[in-house]
Amino acid sequence: MEILVCVKRVPDSAENEISVASGGADISREDLVYAVNEWDNYAVEEAIQIVEREGGSVTVVALGDSDTEEVVRREMAMGAEAGLMLVDDAFAGSDGLGVATILKAAAEKKSYDLILTGAQADDGAAQVGGMLAALLDRPYASLVNKVEVNGPTLRIGREIEGGSQELSDIDLPCVLSIQTGINEPRYVGLRGIRKVASVEIPVLDGAALGVDAAAVGQAAAKVRRVDYFVPAVGAGADMLTGSTKEVAAQLVDLLKAKGGLN
Amino acid sequence: MAQILADRRDIDFVLYEQLKVEELAKHKPFADFNRKAVDLIVSEARNLAVKEILPTQVDGDRIGAHFANGAVTMPTSFHKAWKALVDGEWLAMSDDAEWGGQGMPHTVASAATDYLMGANFAFMLTAGLTHGAGKLVEKLGTDKQKELYLQKLYSGEWCGTMLLTEAEAGSDVGALSATATPNPDGTYSITGNKIFISAGEHDLVPNIIHPVLARIEGAPAGTAGISMFLVPKFRVNDDGSLGEFNDVVCTGIEEKMGIHGNATCSLSLGSKGQCIGTLLGEPNKGMRGMFMMMNEARLMVGSEGLACASTSYLYAVNYARTRVQSRHLLKGADKSAPSVPIIQHPDVRRMLMTMKCYVEGMRSLGYFVSHCMDRNHVATQAEEKARTQALIDLLIPIAKGYVTERAFEVCSLGVQVYGGYGYCREFPVEQLLRDVRITAIYEGTNGIQALDLIGRKLSQNNGQAIQDLFASMKSAISNAQDLARTAPVAARLATALARLETVTTHMTTTMQSDPMTGSAHAFTFMEAVGDMVMAWMLLWRANLAAAALQAGAKEKDSAFYEGQIMSAEFYTRNLLPVTLGRMEAILGASSIANDIPEDAFGGK
Repeated sequence: MEILVCVKRVPDSAENEISVASGGADISREDLVYAVNEWDNYAVEEAIQIVEREGGSVTVVALGDSDTEEVVRREMAMGAEAGLMLVDDAFAGSDGLGVATILKAAAEKKSYDLILTGAQADDGAAQVGGMLAALLDRPYASLVNKVEVNGPTLRIGREIEGGSQELSDIDLPCVLSIQTGINEPRYVGLRGIRKVASVEIPVLDGAALGVDAAAVGQAAAKVRRVDYFVPAVGAGADMLTGSTKEVAAQLVDLLKAKGGLN
Repeated sequence: MAQILADRRDIDFVLYEQLKVEELAKHKPFADFNRKAVDLIVSEARNLAVKEILPTQVDGDRIGAHFANGAVTMPTSFHKAWKALVDGEWLAMSDDAEWGGQGMPHTVASAATDYLMGANFAFMLTAGLTHGAGKLVEKLGTDKQKELYLQKLYSGEWCGTMLLTEAEAGSDVGALSATATPNPDGTYSITGNKIFISAGEHDLVPNIIHPVLARIEGAPAGTAGISMFLVPKFRVNDDGSLGEFNDVVCTGIEEKMGIHGNATCSLSLGSKGQCIGTLLGEPNKGMRGMFMMMNEARLMVGSEGLACASTSYLYAVNYARTRVQSRHLLKGADKSAPSVPIIQHPDVRRMLMTMKCYVEGMRSLGYFVSHCMDRNHVATQAEEKARTQALIDLLIPIAKGYVTERAFEVCSLGVQVYGGYGYCREFPVEQLLRDVRITAIYEGTNGIQALDLIGRKLSQNNGQAIQDLFASMKSAISNAQDLARTAPVAARLATALARLETVTTHMTTTMQSDPMTGSAHAFTFMEAVGDMVMAWMLLWRANLAAAALQAGAKEKDSAFYEGQIMSAEFYTRNLLPVTLGRMEAILGASSIANDIPEDAFGGK
């Protein structure tokens, strides 16, 4: 099975204290540590596991600037056979549809049976997977937490409200957005790093992809961020302060007062 | 962002700016290790350390190794972490690919080790010993021994140890009494009791391979009659499968001050006459084998010290930034002034600066020694090979003995910054202080390191190695000449270096004329040399930082570079005067420690 996994380089939310930049339209990116988007990492692991069972190969694709290479190379060290970077100044500022348009062009460069994205990105809107499927006119399932290959179809599990699980069959070729927890992503080992240390990762720009520069990027974006802020603390919430012991004592008092504890 | 375990910016600074590690990739053996690969290795070592090994730190301390009926059980989390370590092939980072090693430069491995050790060195000690046992097999083993054991050790499928100490043979290895009796098939029956065996027994892997020091029946007394044997916990069949139990019985584990995550075992060999070993290397040459491993093992212990110090420092500095206590000193009289984070108090800053200086100096030293090993490996000229090897040999007692002494001090300051909380188990600095204490003791006590420096290393190659070290220091001093920010630092270092040269000559002659007095000052001399190595490293760093600032550093790098210059300033103004005092004490050549009658120690 030929699998394409779309990955994104994002500020690592476990490593950074995110603050709003002075301009107000973005987060402060000075000193941020970046990593592969967590959901995407699960998607890559799932793709590797499918190929280990069924054969085929995994290609990782990322849209971004030249720094994106570090996450593509990392995912290759994890076990993806090939990497692809989509880099063009004209891509900067694309909205979800723009990103999906660029990824569609990359996906059409080869005949992929399965395309995986993360269910969402730390800094995203959980929209690209669905849009990519629509642009490619392929079936799509979101929030997938189980994949079984049954010949020309996949039996997939989806997480739905209330902790319930839904099982569906979906025809290949298709697009899936992968939920965290579907597997336990492997650590990158030294052998994998050495294997990809000197591999040249192909870079495609808009012309190579056949993407009309006017259809993507900031100018073409139909969704534009207008503000970025930390909401003001609303009324109706009591913030408990003090040491852990003091906060716990206050909480017990409150629960007793409101009838939650006898 | 808050760094833990080790500061990535500092690691990158030493790797790329101080040692220019990417240049090693120009040499064929290291061609795979370009900057992209090195970046990825350090990132993934950190990832593994933080996510998988750090969670074992508290388990190791609180649950610890459990002994019952001859078996040692490790905490559940250790098993998962061991598997991750093995899967990633992190055990034999710098070894020959033929046997499953990764051929990585030692310098890069030092950076990875910074994180792995910082996460839990008691856990990583098992890996280090396994690697050490593998190295012995690689260097000394027969083809058959290599075939049976080496790949399984380097991969971590099996573990290894080192069986040296006995109840009456600790620092005095030559006194050991374990015996090897030749069998007709060329093997030996081993009998004896060994103590203080780190990771001597546990359930992380199906087999443990013990290199054992023992005396072949009839061999000379003392170290000249010691041989080394490979003794597996389970015998190994010719096809590599496990055979019967080899009569290596764990009779107990020590209740220790720290590193509860590593079982310190007493092992009884051959109590039922069924312990079979094979000779590793030549008969009666066991000590030579030990010495082959000594540099690596001592450098590993130094890296344990650095890792604890680095981790304690980062915990302390981050705590000091958030812990609010007392008003600012200059607003003490203003009752309405708010309390401030303790990082604003001068004495807390003194402690943090001291910790920062030592952590940075120790990191640079550890990586530098590793870099010398790499340069030695790729050197094509005999002269360069000899020069780098002599420098490594000279610096090992500093990288182990001095570094672990200072690491304990740093970890103690870490507790102090936390105040009363630092003394409580709830906070990690308490465990780090207990854990790091062993590093000054094992793998040759620090007193022995000092004797090694003064007795063996100083005189090798007619003292050329220490002259080379002084020349390197002078080079850093001269590099500061055109840098306004570091020239005063260099001047202080130059003054102290002139004194150290005098002290070195004095020590060399005293060791010949009055070895008792010389030896009584050996530790102080090791401290003086170590202090000067720290000063040299900090000046080297500061020179690079000053040049980078002059050239117009990026805004986000400026604070780091300023911090480098401040470290060198603080160290040479606040700590180096103490070193000058140490050197005066040495020159004073007092023999009081030897002269005092035993009764005068009191306590009777």
